[in-house]
Amino acid sequence: MSDLATETHHDEHESTGIENRKLGMWVFLSSEFLFFGALITNYLLYSNRGGFEGIYPAEIYDIPFTSVSSFVLLMSSLTMVLAHNALSRHDQNGARTWLFATAALGAVFLGGQVFEFYEFIEVYDMTLSTNPAASAFYVLTGFHGAHVAIGVIMLLSLWGISRRQGGLSEKHGLNLELVGLYWHFVDIIWIVIFTVVYLLSVPAV
Amino acid sequence: MSTEHHAHPTPAQYWKIAGFLAILTAIEVAMFYIDRELGLGFLNAAILIVLSSIKFIVVVGWFMHVRFEKPIINRFFAGGFVLACSLYLVVLAALGVVVIRGG
Repeated sequence: MSDLATETHHDEHESTGIENRKLGMWVFLSSEFLFFGALITNYLLYSNRGGFEGIYPAEIYDIPFTSVSSFVLLMSSLTMVLAHNALSRHDQNGARTWLFATAALGAVFLGGQVFEFYEFIEVYDMTLSTNPAASAFYVLTGFHGAHVAIGVIMLLSLWGISRRQGGLSEKHGLNLELVGLYWHFVDIIWIVIFTVVYLLSVPAV
Repeated sequence: MSTEHHAHPTPAQYWKIAGFLAILTAIEVAMFYIDRELGLGFLNAAILIVLSSIKFIVVVGWFMHVRFEKPIINRFFAGGFVLACSLYLVVLAALGVVVIRGG
């Protein structure tokens, strides 16, 4: 009887057969495509449109540096999926270690972005208001960085919970899966930004 | 954790996938410098877009486990992606940033 009640309850709330929170995360990520799509489109509109004063982002990109940052973020997706995999094998220590590694790699990526912004502003005098291309660049990469920062906070929260409680419960296991989905999404958005914004940008004539 | 419907990759397989992604990233960066020297133009753009698309698909398929999930998740995710790409491609075409030939 108890099992039947549980099953009925389960069916009523999860007619798709997928955890509601997990489905909600997928819908949220799907909507994020529109958000980042708007910012990338905005950048493409202004990146090589001449006629404005000041230096353009494409003239000062440090491709070797950004390539290393991209590699770091890509590898953080590996550590994230290894954390998820470790937890599915009930390896709490492994999950905790890989969670921390993911947060650390995310923090390294953020540090790189802060350094890049600092260099652009201090050395090249390209600020948010220099021209529309610079503005579009800072808004796009800044919002992506904010997403990474939120991801790092969520990862460290899970790591802290795991440390305090000696492991992640089933409920927190789902949280790890949701944070993982978010983290991989942030990574795929960077894959697009790295190619479209950094590698394919042509300096304005 | 959620119910698993298919066997997910092992840690060793995840490392191999990450190595593959790292190689693709290295090729992308190499293409950037090759284009600087040879001026490949459209060919460079096409190669870079193909490489980043492969990286995108691999991360979504294997790291986000879309390959192993129920079709409804695939539809939600692909729906948002296709909608965003279509919408902004139209905007870019309307504003003359990209040129769509045909008709």
